Amino acid sequence: MPVKRRNFISVLLFSLLWGGFGIAQAQQIRVITTIPDLADITKQIGKELVDVESLTRGVEFMHAVPVKPSFVPKLNRANILVAMGLDLEISWLPALLEPASNPKIMPGQTAYIDCSTGINVLEVPKNVDRAEGDVHPKGNPHYNLDPLNGKVIARNIADGLARNYPQHKAVFEKNLAAYLSELDKAIARWQTVAAPLKGIKFVAYHSDWAYFANRFGLQQVGSIEVKPGIEPTPNHLVGLAQKMQQEKIPLIIYGPQSDRYPKQLAGQSGAAVVRLQSISGGTAETDTYVKFIEHNVKSLLAALKKS
Amino acid sequence: MVFSMVRAPLVAVSAVFTFLLFLSEQGLAQNTELDSLRALVKGMEQQLQQALQRIDQLEKEKNSTSVRVEQVEKSVKSTQSAAGLLNPAIGMAIDATAEQRNKTGGNFNFRSAEIGISASIDPYARGYAFFNGSGDGVEVEEAAMVTTSLPWNLQARGGRFFADFGRLAKFHPHEYSFVNTPLSLERIVGGESQADGVELSYLFPTPFFLRGTIGGYNKIGADNERVENDKSRSWSRFTYLSRLSSYFDLTDNHSVELGTSLAYTPSVRLSSDPRSGNRTMSGVDLTYRYQPLGSTLHQGLTIGAEFFGNSELEERGSGYRRMFAPGGYVYADMKLSREWSAGFLYDNAPSLSSPGKKTQSYSPFLTWKLSEFNRLRFQYTYGNDNVNESKSDSGSQFFLQWTTTLGAHSHGFANR
Repeated sequence: MPVKRRNFISVLLFSLLWGGFGIAQAQQIRVITTIPDLADITKQIGKELVDVESLTRGVEFMHAVPVKPSFVPKLNRANILVAMGLDLEISWLPALLEPASNPKIMPGQTAYIDCSTGINVLEVPKNVDRAEGDVHPKGNPHYNLDPLNGKVIARNIADGLARNYPQHKAVFEKNLAAYLSELDKAIARWQTVAAPLKGIKFVAYHSDWAYFANRFGLQQVGSIEVKPGIEPTPNHLVGLAQKMQQEKIPLIIYGPQSDRYPKQLAGQSGAAVVRLQSISGGTAETDTYVKFIEHNVKSLLAALKKS
Repeated sequence: MVFSMVRAPLVAVSAVFTFLLFLSEQGLAQNTELDSLRALVKGMEQQLQQALQRIDQLEKEKNSTSVRVEQVEKSVKSTQSAAGLLNPAIGMAIDATAEQRNKTGGNFNFRSAEIGISASIDPYARGYAFFNGSGDGVEVEEAAMVTTSLPWNLQARGGRFFADFGRLAKFHPHEYSFVNTPLSLERIVGGESQADGVELSYLFPTPFFLRGTIGGYNKIGADNERVENDKSRSWSRFTYLSRLSSYFDLTDNHSVELGTSLAYTPSVRLSSDPRSGNRTMSGVDLTYRYQPLGSTLHQGLTIGAEFFGNSELEERGSGYRRMFAPGGYVYADMKLSREWSAGFLYDNAPSLSSPGKKTQSYSPFLTWKLSEFNRLRFQYTYGNDNVNESKSDSGSQFFLQWTTTLGAHSHGFANR
């Protein structure tokens, strides 16, 4: 029975390898984050104490992330789950936590770190009704686009890690202080560099740029979607193109949506089109949170020059 | 603020008048003109007093109003936290079709209004229920408790729920990619795998997703009429299930899901005969998905297939014979844009008593998603029915389906 024996040996090898891998990893805190921004910041604060992985890669549309069963074993083994909250992950995370059999990381438990704690939330709807589209009852959840909120996120992660691993609190605090000062320097730089963006009007596909606009003084004057999550009608596009021409709006920002409508509008209005993700990690230029904000500021400045 | 500003000049005026009064008493006591003046001042003094009283009163009222407002706000908050915030998530799905079948004619078919509620029960369990109202009345489709904190990667479920058999049998019909339940699923499983019983699943500690389930139920299948659901019976007349399901990412964008299921009933007593034999229902399900991560909004492809087999004693002339009936379906559904998708379903459904006879159907369908919660679907089905003598499923059939969901309506991991 040589075949059977070979199978047996390969199974044995596999389990040994996996077991060995497990021992090597046992020293580190296994952290799963929902988006790469949070993974990067967790790495900055946990350094060699943590083994961090983000479930999304940075190219996804946050409201349409596939519910992949391959995420389930990752969540099952996680010591800590770091999430954005404000229902950003509502369409996929609860469905994955259900079979993950890891009660520690369920929302509200100590090993679940909600980064939205203490965020000044924008666009909280006064009236929650789906006639207004796929509204976020808790307000706009894309707060990571404002670098000042990056500081709040970092503080929340440091607190959350220290809550679960108090023996490493001093390390987390030290790393947090270093990261915050790095972020502060970058923020000061961005605020000078991004001065030309002040007062610039733009149209976005989906309303995920509110926090960025708020920080750097841009003004969103329309969206390609009729309402959040509702694709445009021909009438809506005609009206939007007219408005863009009249008000001489120089910018259209879109993300993981199809480029059909943004390009059509650009053709009609002469505005520049910029494709930017609302989370980091999608490309080499955005593989850390700081590089991500840098990339957003630079891309918008470059587009403004072109238009 | 306003009141104290009004008050200051009034106090000043009253002081002036008091002074005047004092003067008059000192030197001009005999003057009659002064008497009238005195009367005038007295009247004014009274008016002033009244005005001051009124101001005090208003100020008191103002304070008490703000206290009242605070009280009302507090009580609203407390009722919200006490009742409102603890309310379970509630949602509803409404599903209706307009149909034209060449053999039987047309129909506006109100298929279902399904109300779902779900919430955590305590730190150890969560509960959910789906009540389904249709032309046949209202029934409890699912009402189950699921544990949330069992150790060793275990999860238990009890009550009435869709047993973990196959893939599509666990879907609520309004979540299908096409209009109707495939006849193969309908005949072999009995539609949805609804079951009253208990189930235990285990997530293997493998790097990829691998889950096993075992279960015991009165019966499996919403439309399975072999067994009465509410009668006590010996343990050999229950249905026992085992299932393994796995998932593999081929690349970031391509994935495969593979599952096998086996449902075994040691002894099925046929209604017309005291003899009994076992029944074995088996299934293999395979799903391939193309989900380009950066454009899942407007691109994607799902190919799903399931093969079923049913083995049980069937009436044959004057006696009984064991019959094995195989069947299955395969479909593909492709996203054309964020709003539009199109697909095709092939279904092969055997007769359980004479498996050589089959109903085959071919169904192209087109779906228009107006939003995440509102969907129109057109489907054409061509059927070739060799099972029913009336050939009721033969020929052309047209369906226009309108499905909406409102509130928080989700069937979670099983219906992904």
